[in-house]
Amino acid sequence: MRVSRATGTEIGEPDHRASHAFDLYFGPVHAGSGNFGVKLKIEGERVVGARSDPGYLHRGFEKLMEYRTPMQNAILSDRLCILESLNWNLVHAEAVDRLCGTEIPERAQYIRVILAELSRIQSHIIWYGVLSKALGFDTGFKVAFGYRDYVLDVFEFITGGRVYPAGYLCPGGVRHDIPEGTKKRIEDLLATMETMLREFAGYDSRTITARCRGVGVLELDDALRLGATGPVLRACGMAADVRRDAPYEVYDDLDFEIPTCEEGDAFARSIIRRREIEESMNIIRQALGRLPAEPLPPVLPKIADKMPEGEVYVRNEISRGEAAIYMRSTGESRPYRCKIRGPDLLHMIPVLEHLLVGAELADVPAIYWSLNVCPADMDR
Amino acid sequence: MSSAQNACKQTEILKRIQLSVSAELRIAEDGTAWMLVLERDLSDCLVLAKREGFDHCSAISVTDWPDENVFEFTYHLWSYGKRILLTVSCRIDRRKATVASVIPLWGPSAGIHERELHELFGVEFTGNPDLEPLFLEAWDGPAPFRKDFDWRMYVRETFYEEGDAREQGYWD
Repeated sequence: MRVSRATGTEIGEPDHRASHAFDLYFGPVHAGSGNFGVKLKIEGERVVGARSDPGYLHRGFEKLMEYRTPMQNAILSDRLCILESLNWNLVHAEAVDRLCGTEIPERAQYIRVILAELSRIQSHIIWYGVLSKALGFDTGFKVAFGYRDYVLDVFEFITGGRVYPAGYLCPGGVRHDIPEGTKKRIEDLLATMETMLREFAGYDSRTITARCRGVGVLELDDALRLGATGPVLRACGMAADVRRDAPYEVYDDLDFEIPTCEEGDAFARSIIRRREIEESMNIIRQALGRLPAEPLPPVLPKIADKMPEGEVYVRNEISRGEAAIYMRSTGESRPYRCKIRGPDLLHMIPVLEHLLVGAELADVPAIYWSLNVCPADMDR
Repeated sequence: MSSAQNACKQTEILKRIQLSVSAELRIAEDGTAWMLVLERDLSDCLVLAKREGFDHCSAISVTDWPDENVFEFTYHLWSYGKRILLTVSCRIDRRKATVASVIPLWGPSAGIHERELHELFGVEFTGNPDLEPLFLEAWDGPAPFRKDFDWRMYVRETFYEEGDAREQGYWD
């Protein structure tokens, strides 16, 4: 006899002849996030089994990168996660920089941080949108995606691409200096984001609270055992953040908080992300104020130099959690091995399966989207 | 604690692990620690690392060295409390690439990395109960991330026709 993890009561073997027990395939097409499925076993209204079914977006990046030079891989690294391509750009660029021992000009480091934080903001906005959509709160979805476009406008202005920056944060710094007027545009954008956050806060007492509070509770012990990182871990009460614990770029010169919550439920995960948007805005303001004035020469694409022999493991804090690249070079112009570690392999398989078993069927979307899933960086 | 004191404490911890399993230890310029251990010492080293506070298994990776007949396993470990990044590497004979699973140490978070490596490199993890393929559907070819599997050749031979004039470019 099996025991439900949620209620502690015996649940018995599912009887598939009975009308109340059935298998449900959740996915693989979801509005607003990538393709991914979960095979659910349902009894009545309760989920008694969950098995993640990844692979719809497997493109073999680790192997593809072995055939390409760092500049080509910088462009490829955009595609690791559609929802936060600039953050992945940065992880890849840092791996190559550290392997080659390249010194990055301070201005380029500040630009990298500003863009990484803007990318975190727009990724959190997408998360707010798709969570709202999943809860049947269409207004939230539309409002969020509307505001996200303001961030994309700035990306287009700086990098030339709205979603994919084509390797703007590249080995050696940034592809070209930010255009004139960028500072003003970012300041205006931050003012718009303030309005957005006030609007989001106004919705709290209604749909999101009702559907998310007490749902999908993750205990801290389980979070660590299952490999949760980023906002999912911080929503369980642990203030772990790579930006503070192992600072990269200029993060150790900047002053920012690591928001945490104790509850570990879907609502805590949603609150954490909103507070992170505020912290990112704070970081961007500081970075804009300290941005060195000396203009940057462009980093030109060229026939690749050989990288020195060696290995590095570079970790970054992206909007979903810990992202890392293990890069190994044998002294050729292409990496010999490039292992990519994304936060979602852990969040979408061990964490998601753990949270779904014992949940109510109606809570499945709230749990699924509260983890801010991105199948692209899981499948790679 | 000052950063100098902290660095000193970090080195002490690493030295303790190194001495008890006779590993090679290297601290890189970026402050990350790298340890190369023999196959017979791998399990002991990882058990010690867990005991010394490396509570987060960030990733496990395999690098294929077919010319030397070796698979190099790398365990990337992070200590939340002591803030050290340690990579433990071990070179295993490619013809019998089997290591013990680290699920008893780091739980399902390590199990999922092992499951991925089993699929992509064809390596075995004894004690891991769930090594079902993650990404590839109905794949019965060789493990695709091994260096001796030529993707481009496979794609050309499987998906393109030499007689098709429009696809000639792929065969030149």
